[in-house]
Amino acid sequence: MITAGVDIGSVGTKALILEDGKILSTEIMPTGSRPKITAQMVLAKALAKVKLKPDDVRHVVSTGYGRRVVDFGEKTITEISACAQGVKFLGAPKGTVRTIIDLGGQDIKVITLDDEGNTKDFVMNDKCAAGTGRFLEVIAHALEIELAKLGELALQAKQTITINATCTVFAESEVISLLAQDVKKQDIIAGIVDSIAERIAAMSNKIGMRPTVAFTGGGAQNIGLVKSLEKKLDTEMYIPELPQFINALGSALVAQRLQSLR
Amino acid sequence: MKTDFEKRYQRAPLHRPAEKVSARVRAASEDLAARLHKQPDRLVSLPYYEELFTTEKRKKELQILNRKVVGTYCYFAPEELIYASGDVPIRLCSGHSDTITTAEELLPRDICPLVKSSFGFPILGDGWIDACDVIALPTSCDAKTKLGEYLADYLPVWMINLPKIKNYDGLKEYWLKEIKLFLHKLEELNGKKVKAPELKNALQLLKRRAELYRAMYELRLAHPLLLSHQDLLMVVQSSFYDDLPRWINQTELLYNEMKKASATGKYAAKGKRLMITGAPIIWPNFKILNIITELGSTVVADDMCAGHQRLWDYAEPDEWTLEGMLEAVAARYIFPSVCPCFTTSYDRIDKILHLAREAKVDGVIYHDLRLCQIFDMEKDLVVKVLKENQIPVITLHTDYGQEDVEQLRTRIEAFLEMIL
Ligand code: SF4
Ligand code: SF4
Repeated sequence: MITAGVDIGSVGTKALILEDGKILSTEIMPTGSRPKITAQMVLAKALAKVKLKPDDVRHVVSTGYGRRVVDFGEKTITEISACAQGVKFLGAPKGTVRTIIDLGGQDIKVITLDDEGNTKDFVMNDKCAAGTGRFLEVIAHALEIELAKLGELALQAKQTITINATCTVFAESEVISLLAQDVKKQDIIAGIVDSIAERIAAMSNKIGMRPTVAFTGGGAQNIGLVKSLEKKLDTEMYIPELPQFINALGSALVAQRLQSLR
Repeated sequence: MKTDFEKRYQRAPLHRPAEKVSARVRAASEDLAARLHKQPDRLVSLPYYEELFTTEKRKKELQILNRKVVGTYCYFAPEELIYASGDVPIRLCSGHSDTITTAEELLPRDICPLVKSSFGFPILGDGWIDACDVIALPTSCDAKTKLGEYLADYLPVWMINLPKIKNYDGLKEYWLKEIKLFLHKLEELNGKKVKAPELKNALQLLKRRAELYRAMYELRLAHPLLLSHQDLLMVVQSSFYDDLPRWINQTELLYNEMKKASATGKYAAKGKRLMITGAPIIWPNFKILNIITELGSTVVADDMCAGHQRLWDYAEPDEWTLEGMLEAVAARYIFPSVCPCFTTSYDRIDKILHLAREAKVDGVIYHDLRLCQIFDMEKDLVVKVLKENQIPVITLHTDYGQEDVEQLRTRIEAFLEMIL
């Protein structure tokens, strides 16, 4: 039986098609201003990749900020549960995951799992975009660098400077004034990445993280951030393949359970 | 009229009447009332209370009434003394978000929404403060302490010097004196002394209110949806404005209706049973409660100064001397209070644990208003102890605005999924 999970995030919308625990296809698009239409398109594209029609899908479960706007899902779950489900399913090669750090477009989440892999507790950033994917985008823009290259560049830094501002807008102006002082872009990026890692580490410590730590969401693709965070948390992290699709995967898994309930 | 702020330095009061802002304030109340109106199987005694928020009837009544109106803030302005003096207390702590920008013309932005919201009204020349003759303001948190000097531009203000350390000796030494000073100011205002029988009557009236509330609360524990928590807070907060004997009569009707309705067995809690603790949730800022309802769960308890705590406590009127009664009043405002303006959070933690267990809650929501330091600083220990007692808890850091409703929904929904 085939199910789908659709994760309508603040920045990207993702779809994942699952058949009996096997991932068939994935698709991602910017969410844009019309999440409902984007969600339909992403799902259609993911299906088209493996030559499936909407009718072939038994159940769809949606998650993410836009979860309530879609009209095809039979059930919605929050991205916290979806993420926990996805990670639990994937397992980790070096021990069982007990903590998940998820860095999305407008959220940082730290989720702790109990010994059964169910959500035990979670924290999220409040009402503020500092350190989120959106924050990285703004900084990349100010530096005129592609978002995807930020991570690599951070690793090339010769010295690390400290970025003081924790607010997106102020951090942007801090970056601009550093540029004006001729500070190397690599060093600035390393400073930014460190400041985000600092914030995430503080959240993780507060909630009581236990290894193994999994890192998911778009932020996990930033290698500079991964390294900095591993240093701050003093633990190696597990980064699943397709880190951006974990929530969609979790939703598709929940959709499979809908099936078995019948 | 006497004020605690002699005009040594002056600032002209800022007046900024704005029909648009006032219209938005009215609309916010009307929208909430309309929303509450649509709740399924709602008791018929409830629309009475809505009117206190959506109409100006009571305000007009106060304006023609031949009684002095004392505007109060917080939990600590002694109602007993105000009633005993023949005056009317009106609590001015506000939950409206629409007056905040108005207040920010004068107040700094970085103070809590409750204080900014309340202060928007005198600038607009709108709201309950319009009907007040004098303001009684306790020095509870920093924001309230400093608000007096601003309010003094508009009305005479009496500060009530609240002790921050709960200590029995200090209470007699100093808080009792403060209570007497407050009584003295009231006597000066009215040009007559308060006698023991008058204070006794006031104590009895407030005890009646507490008994009625307690009966209602206990009945509701068994049948929570007799009153949604929104309705419960509406009933409690309407008592801040209504004529007290009339409110008691009406609430007796409500209680009788609740008793009858409880026999139908229709009013069991839906979904999870939750408790809410933290910064005051004041009409019409019921967004968290509305989200919980939309997610199919039920709030069954709170410990708030504009909620449960306000009507639960009373001073026992079994003393016969004025002195004895004043001591009872003094004690009532210090020992049972769980306001975080006191130095320790231990009493509050005990109270939360007690209420949570009594109401058999599945989880606790800690409501934290942005820029309210004292609730924020108490959070860590409260959360820790709750978790140690196997009570799941989530903290929500928010303000009066609507823009984070979806984020809040995600957090609360994830919390509900978690405590499944
Ligand atoms: S919590 Fe305390 S300081 Fe805050 S409004 Fe209530 S009584 Fe006043
Ligand atoms: S206790 Fe907190 S919420 Fe209440 S008035 Fe003071 S700062 Fe504002």
